[in-house]
Amino acid sequence: MKSRKRVAVDQLKDAIRADSAEPCLPGSLHKPLSSDHLSPPLSPQSTSGHQSSVGMERIFTLSPTPTAVLDKDLRVILVSASSRKLCNVEPDECRGRAFLDGLDQRLMPTNHAITAKLVQDAIVTRKEQISEPVPGTDLPGYWRLRVLPIFDADELVYIVVEAQDVTEDVQRNLSYSTQLSSAETYRILVSTLRDYAIFMLTPDGRIATWNTGAMLLKQFTQEEIVGKHFSTFYSEEDRKARKPEKELELALRDGKVEDEGWRVRKDGSRFWANVIITPVYRDGELTGFSKVTRDLTERKAAEARLIAAYEEASRLKSDFLANMSHEIRTPMHGMLSALSLLTDTGLSKEQKELTDIIDESGAILLQVINDILDYSKLSSGSFSISKDVLNISEVVAAVRRCFKVGSNNDLKLEVELDPRLPKFAQGDALRYRQILQNLVSNAIKFTDQGYVQVKVTLTGENEDSYDIRTEVIDTGIGVSLESEHILFTPFTQLDKFSTKRYKGTGLGLSICKSLVELMGGTIGFGPNPEQHGSIFYFTLKLNKLDARAPAPPIPNTSDTDLKELGQKKTILLVEDNAINQTIMVRLLRAFGFEKVDVAGDGQEGLRLVKQKPLTYNLILMDISMPVMDGVTATKEIRRLGHSIPIIAMTANALKGDEEAYLAEGMNDYVAKPVDRKLLTQALLRWLR
Amino acid sequence: MSEEGDFEFGDNVDKAAFEQILDMDEEEEREFSKSIVFGFLEQAEQTFSKMDAAMKDKNLEELSSLGHFLKGSSATLGFTKVKDECEKIQHYGHKKNETGESDEPDEEKCLRLIGESIAEAKRAYEVVNGLMKQFYADA
Repeated sequence: MKSRKRVAVDQLKDAIRADSAEPCLPGSLHKPLSSDHLSPPLSPQSTSGHQSSVGMERIFTLSPTPTAVLDKDLRVILVSASSRKLCNVEPDECRGRAFLDGLDQRLMPTNHAITAKLVQDAIVTRKEQISEPVPGTDLPGYWRLRVLPIFDADELVYIVVEAQDVTEDVQRNLSYSTQLSSAETYRILVSTLRDYAIFMLTPDGRIATWNTGAMLLKQFTQEEIVGKHFSTFYSEEDRKARKPEKELELALRDGKVEDEGWRVRKDGSRFWANVIITPVYRDGELTGFSKVTRDLTERKAAEARLIAAYEEASRLKSDFLANMSHEIRTPMHGMLSALSLLTDTGLSKEQKELTDIIDESGAILLQVINDILDYSKLSSGSFSISKDVLNISEVVAAVRRCFKVGSNNDLKLEVELDPRLPKFAQGDALRYRQILQNLVSNAIKFTDQGYVQVKVTLTGENEDSYDIRTEVIDTGIGVSLESEHILFTPFTQLDKFSTKRYKGTGLGLSICKSLVELMGGTIGFGPNPEQHGSIFYFTLKLNKLDARAPAPPIPNTSDTDLKELGQKKTILLVEDNAINQTIMVRLLRAFGFEKVDVAGDGQEGLRLVKQKPLTYNLILMDISMPVMDGVTATKEIRRLGHSIPIIAMTANALKGDEEAYLAEGMNDYVAKPVDRKLLTQALLRWLR
Repeated sequence: MSEEGDFEFGDNVDKAAFEQILDMDEEEEREFSKSIVFGFLEQAEQTFSKMDAAMKDKNLEELSSLGHFLKGSSATLGFTKVKDECEKIQHYGHKKNETGESDEPDEEKCLRLIGESIAEAKRAYEVVNGLMKQFYADA
């Protein structure tokens, strides 16, 4: 028996040695099946009819696991029906054939060697042999070969070969190993990363892992730091404020916390850190925190440098623009003035055309320069808005005069003013005009025909102020609503035409916006509701003037007026101090008053008035005087029925004095020392 | 000929007021202002003498009136310090405090304060006197 066994083993060895698709056991096929009959009774060839044998045979035949039962010579005794699918064989065809031979030819040629080795090992070791999973040939998935040697004492009787479906196992393993390898990848990535400190904390904030970046950044080695609390990296101050603990709480609450701030290295030096702390959960339970720290010291310093450089550059730019514009403007004015003189020197038609071009170009250039100057002033914040008296209808009329359109082309400039508009309000007329003029000039620039309408309405009014809305409506090319963000941006123009039809710096609207905002209003635009075109508007809140403020304006206050008056009028000056007398007389002479009488006190003044009742057109009356003071003298004059204007002059500048003098019959009041301008105004008020 | 712009008057003279006087001068000549200024200096000397006499008589009413008188001309010329002291004398003479805002019924105290203010006014006058003489000497 041993020899036979050895034969089989030798055949196997040959097969392994061949390790190829060469058919093995060539001779075996020709061997009679007699050996089976020597075999124990379970041989499928046995027709003994034993129920047990048939029963056992059925077990293998019907086993769902593809199974082959071989005799000791490795000839197939039985193949399960389930093998059919796996190997595409008919069980009946295989019976009696050499297993390895058939295997080689028809079944799994690539795994031939493995199978042969398994069988050999099974026989030698007398133990079950199981292969690694191999891919199926005809069926998809993975299969594991199980070779079971059946010995009866020392004698090999059968060999059972099974193919177990391990597809699922294989797949599970596969994904598991993928996970393993990716985890390994990450571990390597993290541990070797130099620019980021990445480490784990335990749930109570102690350091659990350490990477190269952390070591380089914080200078602690892994041995030194693991197990210590992460507050080690915080400044004393932050620790006192319980910042580390608060960050963990925040991370737990929000799922993540990001912070920038100073952190401390082992040697005590500081660095500007960006820190991200994220809680890590496994199966819903907190296992710790991941902490990523970046050193942003350099970036922060660079940012600071950048900001400083930007601010400096921006300031220099504004200064430069302002200076240059100013420097250019002065000679420009000179040129344009000289040009206007030149045009009056009787030029030929041809010359006139040329000077017109120079004039027009110069005006545009001047406008551009003014825009730049305004813009640089606005952007440097050195622009102030005055609070003068603003008469809107006057400004609108002035703007209208400026644009003489309507006669020579198809464009009409219309003005519509709300009748409720205040005559006067507190505002900067110059800047109001600048804004309106800019909007109107834009509207005209972009409108070929139709109309440009200026419409000012009073939209609200309360005790202190008026709300005023100014609109400029045109029938021009219109503006899309999407352009809003670029429309008011400096140095941008909506003009997309390659011909560059419309000139300008692109500063106008940006200046308007800044001016309106400086005046506390808003600016905007929309489509013309009536037809194609647009509507630009701005709103302003203008304070009302004080009720007293609009004092009778003194129009045309000029010395010539006073001089004319001076020749006709006679003034009585009542003043006790010789010095002041002399000066007042001198001053009045300078104004043009030739006829000035002087009285040294109230009594003398009164006497003069009595003597020449119709002579004096005005009396300048000192208050404190010996003999008779100014107030008494005034009362006396009034008692006599004279209505000559009397102007009080005094250095008694106490509050309420003015009213007191007016109550005593005086008409006006000038403080001493006498201010030339105030005196001029007072004289004009009462002598006209 | 020195321009007024170059001359340093210090805080004794209100430049704006004084310049208004200088403006009344004919071109290039300082005659008018000079006569006014020297007129004032003379007037001040006389007024101080009258004040001294009134002090002896303890005549508050007279002192107040004199203070007001000199205040008017010194204010016109812009001699601020003289003017300020004269104004105080005027108020004290009316038995008021130095700003004239509240009463000071103690006549002795008023006299004493007037005495101090007269002394101050004289000192300020001397300064102005020196300045003006220098200014017009240069001119």
